[in-house]
Amino acid sequence: MHIEIDEISKQFGTTAALHPVSLSLPSGALVALLGPSGSGKTTLLRILGGLEFPTSGRVLFDGQDATGLSVQERRAGFVFQSYALFRHMTVFDNIAYGLNARPRASRPTKAEIARRVTKLLDLIQLPDIGARYPSQLSGGQRQRVALARALAIEPRMMLLDEPFGALDAKVRKELRQGLRDIHDTTGLTSVFVTHDQEEAMELADLVVVMSMGRIEQIGKPQDIRARPATAFVRDFISA
Amino acid sequence: MPGLGLSMGITLTMLSLVVLLPIGALLLKGATYGLPGIWETVNRERVWAALFLSFRLSLFAAVFNLVFGVLLAWVLVRYRFPGRRILDAAVDLPFALPTAVAGIALTALYAPNGAFGALAAGVGWKIAYTQYGIFLALVFVGLPFVTRTVQPVIEEIEREVEEASATLGATRLHTLRHVILPMLMPAALTGFALSLARAVGEYGSVIFIAGNIPLVTEIAPLLIVIQLEEFNYDAAAAIGIAMLLISFAMLLVINLIQVWSRRRIGYV
Amino acid sequence: MSDAVTLKFRSATEETPLARWVAIGIAVAGIAVLVFAPLLAVFAEALTRGVGAAIASLANRDAQSAIKLTLIIAAISVPLNAAFGIAAAWFITKFDFRGKAFLITLIDLPFSVSPVVAGLCIVLMFGTNSLVGGWLVASGYPIVFALPGIVLATMFVTFPFVARELIPVMIEQGRAEEEAALTLGASGWRTFRTVTLPNIRWALLYGVLLCNARAMGEFGAVAVVSGKIRGQTATMPITIEMLYNEYLSVAAFSLAALLTLLALVTLLLKTALELRHADQLAATHRA
Repeated sequence: MHIEIDEISKQFGTTAALHPVSLSLPSGALVALLGPSGSGKTTLLRILGGLEFPTSGRVLFDGQDATGLSVQERRAGFVFQSYALFRHMTVFDNIAYGLNARPRASRPTKAEIARRVTKLLDLIQLPDIGARYPSQLSGGQRQRVALARALAIEPRMMLLDEPFGALDAKVRKELRQGLRDIHDTTGLTSVFVTHDQEEAMELADLVVVMSMGRIEQIGKPQDIRARPATAFVRDFISA
Repeated sequence: MPGLGLSMGITLTMLSLVVLLPIGALLLKGATYGLPGIWETVNRERVWAALFLSFRLSLFAAVFNLVFGVLLAWVLVRYRFPGRRILDAAVDLPFALPTAVAGIALTALYAPNGAFGALAAGVGWKIAYTQYGIFLALVFVGLPFVTRTVQPVIEEIEREVEEASATLGATRLHTLRHVILPMLMPAALTGFALSLARAVGEYGSVIFIAGNIPLVTEIAPLLIVIQLEEFNYDAAAAIGIAMLLISFAMLLVINLIQVWSRRRIGYV
Repeated sequence: MSDAVTLKFRSATEETPLARWVAIGIAVAGIAVLVFAPLLAVFAEALTRGVGAAIASLANRDAQSAIKLTLIIAAISVPLNAAFGIAAAWFITKFDFRGKAFLITLIDLPFSVSPVVAGLCIVLMFGTNSLVGGWLVASGYPIVFALPGIVLATMFVTFPFVARELIPVMIEQGRAEEEAALTLGASGWRTFRTVTLPNIRWALLYGVLLCNARAMGEFGAVAVVSGKIRGQTATMPITIEMLYNEYLSVAAFSLAALLTLLALVTLLLKTALELRHADQLAATHRA
């Protein structure tokens, strides 16, 4: 799905988290929102997911105005930094949650839900953990379960907030390729937020560098590296 | 670290003198009396009626407090409205107000000539001196327990968990029922058990509004007092032991709930 | 983007305004009926014949002796329980030993025992027809139907209050500060007075407040052990009962109003402590 951000701004009280920004994300791309904390990247992601409402501007999905769509209606697969797994549910029930939450008319049968959950567990390469509780999983496993849970609702796009932020360096590197693979398998337009320039450069098709609520540069990783548009970008990617 | 002997000495001496020895005296009395003796005393219509009444109304009151307490805790933590602080402080009043004061105040309100009692009498409903009155008093004394155990849990819920539920397509009602409520349940059940335990043993706030008619509105603690006033120590001890056993059983249940929830969810 | 859309937007963690206001309405109505109404009723009943009559009833000899007795009981039982609470908290938090959890359960026991059963226990232990009690009465020191019995009953029901407030706070604060003071050569007492006490003073005050409110208001346990001798063993709550049963409504409610004021002051101080010194109270009381 093609995502169009049209002059979106966001004020929290008197402070501006986002100055009007515009951005076009091609269908099927893996996009990194890169910037230091306070750059507005998470705010932009939350606006895309419908968790935050913009002060002005529009969001378009495949050309359709989606600004007024509620979180539920957006069908965005959202992965939170803390993963936000449901602690009182097994991994299976976590992944099945979105399907079980559908109104009865559109809810798949029990067998169909089980089939889909099993398929997703295979996709994240953790086929045997369905009966476990989140507290019994490692950080990397939790991240992949959160990914599977978001994918279960057959999202129109994936939105990931610092998906590797809570992991140690070694696991982080391993899971990067995992995310890339899942993205390539599903073909979903995916946006992830990161403050780690190496991660953004290595993983993304398109990198959006942000600072203080503004977009500093949009481009392919190699272009940004070769031709930083501003002093900020040059400093940030060489850090 | 110094003070081992002193602090241990004070702790164990006072604990024994004030709590353990008196409870031991009751248990000893029961032991000399024997289980058959206790059973014979307890197994009388009036005693059964009182125990059953105490337990049944306590259960109803605790269920009411469970539902109202969770709602109240949610309102106090999540919503901002004028008077919230006063409401929050008022929740503790049943803890701070002497039970005898609560008892006569509730009676004054719900007696047929009282402010609420007169209203109820208008539709032919008698509250004071009936089981409704006892229920009301037990609701009053048990009011704070559920709210006070659930409040800190609500404060600690990560907003992201609720947001995750919404992004997965769940309506707010679905989130409340399937995500939030299960998280609150262990704490709510602990509060429920505490409120139940308190209600079963409650005396002061109930006897004024109860009417104290044998077999109808006579609670178990009152029966002990009556036996003592007739210097019938054996009977009083037998009923006392029965109530003590109920208390211990409930204490056990509270602990089991906590162990269960810790195992299942990793926190209390 | 129109304003209508902005108004329609609701955060994913909020209920609809309608649901919110219904919930607030139920909460406020419930507390109004269950808590505020009885509170008002106490004062309304006390003042049915005017302020003068209410105050006059408090000047009555029996009322005066009840107030005095209640103050004496609180003055004995609260400091004793505070001392116990400090000792128990020190013992439990500064040393490691087996059976700690069991000890804490035993300290909490009075919370789950009916006050009437508590009174019964004391009667069985110290009553005239018990071994200990008979000997004490023969020696001229009766416990039951006398001041010591009432104090014991009061201490029983308020036993856990101070310890419960102190233990979590002292666990959180750890042992490092005391150990530092000791290595600097301070004596045990000095360490306690200059290091521990300043750290736990607000939690101690909090526990003492609750303990005192309960001690002055205890009814069930005291009713059993006091014998309700007018002018001698009738505390304020017992006197309230006697006056009420004699249909002396104004007198009963005036005394009740006095205890209600105490409860309100207790709540006020408690709320102030939670606001001001939240960081030094047990985690469950932090506003």
